[in-house]
Amino acid sequence: MSDRVYEILFIADPNLGEPEVDTLTSTVQGYVEKEGGKVDKVEKWGKKRLAYSIKKHRDGSYVLMVVAGKPTLVHEVERRMRVTDGLVKFITVRVDDDLRKAQNRKARRGDDKRPARVEPVEEAL
Amino acid sequence: MSDDFKGGRGSGRPGPGGKGGDKGKEGGKRFFFRRRKVCKFCQDKIDYIDYKDVKTLQSFVPERGKVLPRRMFGTCAEHQRKLTLAIKRARNIALLPFAAE
Repeated sequence: MSDRVYEILFIADPNLGEPEVDTLTSTVQGYVEKEGGKVDKVEKWGKKRLAYSIKKHRDGSYVLMVVAGKPTLVHEVERRMRVTDGLVKFITVRVDDDLRKAQNRKARRGDDKRPARVEPVEEAL
Repeated sequence: MSDDFKGGRGSGRPGPGGKGGDKGKEGGKRFFFRRRKVCKFCQDKIDYIDYKDVKTLQSFVPERGKVLPRRMFGTCAEHQRKLTLAIKRARNIALLPFAAE
């Protein structure tokens, strides 16, 4: 089975300094690599205000990671992240399928330059 | 219906339901033109609605944080589905609120 692409977005404790966030990031990176995954991209968003408080935190440092690997990787990495200190919350999203579909649509549209479907006129409410 | 007794026959008020009946037959057309809402995602040719793109999502979510029905924004069914999913993901990671505080 070919590898899948996932996005791991996690929120680090806002009280951590820059170097500590970096350490945490490389720790997570280590989890991924240990499971035979490949980290394609790491993006630090910096400190942001949370839309709601999580574990009494109002802010958090966001880090986004794009990862390629086997489906089993997610399970193990998430399990480890759950017991890692300084991690407030995380989310893993599979993106390869959706991005591929988007790509296909873009390619198809490039051919006839017009949306394939003409939308019916909507009745006024 | 309710405004019939007020003698509002010639008022030309474009009742949404057209319950007045006689008015509607006369013209056969609607008296005002409601701008047709077009799916913003189709227009901008966005195929993948990213949950990380808070700015875009926010324009489709009121302050309260609710996901609004399709008719509010005119999004097409396909994009509405994707939008809803993106909003839910964004909520999960605290990019969007579940409810206003």
